[in-house]
Amino acid sequence: MTESPENMSLADKLYRTKYEPDPAHPHIVVDEKICANCKDKVCLVICPAEVYKADPNDPKRVTVSHENCLECGTCRQACPFGAIEWLYPEGGKGVKYRYG
Amino acid sequence: MTDEDRVMMDAIVVGGGPAGLAAAYTMAREGLEVLLVERGEYCGAKNVGGLVYGTVLNEMIPNAFEKAPVERPVSRRTMVFLGEREHIALDFGAEEWSRPPYNNTYIVHRSQFDRWFAEQVEEAGANLLEGMVVDDLIYESSNGTRKAVGVKIRGDEEFYASVVVLADGANSLVTEKARAELGFRQGRHKQDYAVGVKQILALPREKIEDRFQLEPGEGAAMDLFGAPFEGLIGGGFLYTARETLHLGFAARISSMTAAGLRPDDVLDRLKEHPVVHKLVRGAELMEYSAHMIPEGGYDAVGQLAGDGVLIAGDAAGFVNMSAYKEGTNHAMESGRAAGLTIIEAKKKGDFSRDTLSAYEQKLESSVVMKDLKQFRKVPEVLEGCPNLLSLYPKKVNRMLVDMFTCGPESKREIKKKAFRNFMKGLPKIRFVRDVVRARHLA
Repeated sequence: MTESPENMSLADKLYRTKYEPDPAHPHIVVDEKICANCKDKVCLVICPAEVYKADPNDPKRVTVSHENCLECGTCRQACPFGAIEWLYPEGGKGVKYRYG
Repeated sequence: MTDEDRVMMDAIVVGGGPAGLAAAYTMAREGLEVLLVERGEYCGAKNVGGLVYGTVLNEMIPNAFEKAPVERPVSRRTMVFLGEREHIALDFGAEEWSRPPYNNTYIVHRSQFDRWFAEQVEEAGANLLEGMVVDDLIYESSNGTRKAVGVKIRGDEEFYASVVVLADGANSLVTEKARAELGFRQGRHKQDYAVGVKQILALPREKIEDRFQLEPGEGAAMDLFGAPFEGLIGGGFLYTARETLHLGFAARISSMTAAGLRPDDVLDRLKEHPVVHKLVRGAELMEYSAHMIPEGGYDAVGQLAGDGVLIAGDAAGFVNMSAYKEGTNHAMESGRAAGLTIIEAKKKGDFSRDTLSAYEQKLESSVVMKDLKQFRKVPEVLEGCPNLLSLYPKKVNRMLVDMFTCGPESKREIKKKAFRNFMKGLPKIRFVRDVVRARHLA
């Protein structure tokens, strides 16, 4: 039962949170054109669930793993260019907090 | 769709958090036809929080907290100022906080608490529609005024009502659209948001009680400031639930991006701090969560009532970010005020902005806007001096540790050195200015 931050990756942590996955309906879309010209890409850092990652094949591109999203909405407020289109996931889908 | 086909309610509430539930409860109790739409599988599925003040809920539902899923009352509060390796704690409490009515301050798991509240709302006669998403409102224009007349549910369904209460939380996409559509007056300042991240950590009950010096049935709430949050406008918290701990922090998004910090890393840093580590060590992570908090305060609150619409809770920005951090209670108070306003409007048969703006007056004379107004300078003070919550705790820590470090020098020399260290890199004028500003925070 010993858990310490040192040996837990963010993926390990997210694994403890319950989701109702909905792979067919991404609720986040980024504007590829804006992102390609964005140097800072604050979304890569600010998202608590690391939903946004630089595409390993093309670091100018931003990939979105919407299934990890904790639905806080921070990315929308943080992006200075309004490049993130954020819809609520389908009813009952997405993160499902048991403790909250 | 012809008028006869329309499903017509007195009121539709968007969002099943404390604001929306309080609004629906208030109206259903008075016999209004209410529909509450929640996008989560159940009310509470998307909600995060730890501390709930109970004054409003207790007025609405007598002895609510004897029935609600409460983890522990707050018997002790502690403000902990963390240096890199040292700390100061201001610990206070009262025996009566461990007895009914428990100072009306409780530690809860919001997903479970909100779900319970939703059951009460349903029993009161409101219709709950869970697992359904409202994407937008339905509008109509007559005599040059645009008004809301219902909600669009994803999947083409539409529901109509005399009035819609928007309680869609901090990440309030529906409210945002409605404000634009109806041309609502903005607040004096733009809304500012913090990002909050939390871990729920399981630990056996006896261990929690031993580590936090609690009797069974007592609880502790800690606010954490200082080194782990250096350069950030924010702080941490540690609450004892029955067999879990809430450990988390919240910081202004702009300060996080300016510092280039990842929320998860900041929380790890807090968790690794010796003071925190000793309290949470060995605990098993049960859930990792994130949520936004609207922190702009009084001056970020804009228009709240329009033709056929009221806005309540986090969607309206009713969070007090002073030392008294309060949001859930304000949400419930605003939901109740919205409900009462609609009950009156129904009696008059008038849901125009004129009638509904009684809601804004109710809030102004309630604790919600009174408190927000009293602490209206908090956002400004924190922005003007982001060091307030990290630099000074660190310096005072150092000074105390310096003063009580056992060494060969005389006490006079030790004190002199401690004071010199304290003032190092701190112009006197700035020090005085910061002290003057800090009084706005509590």
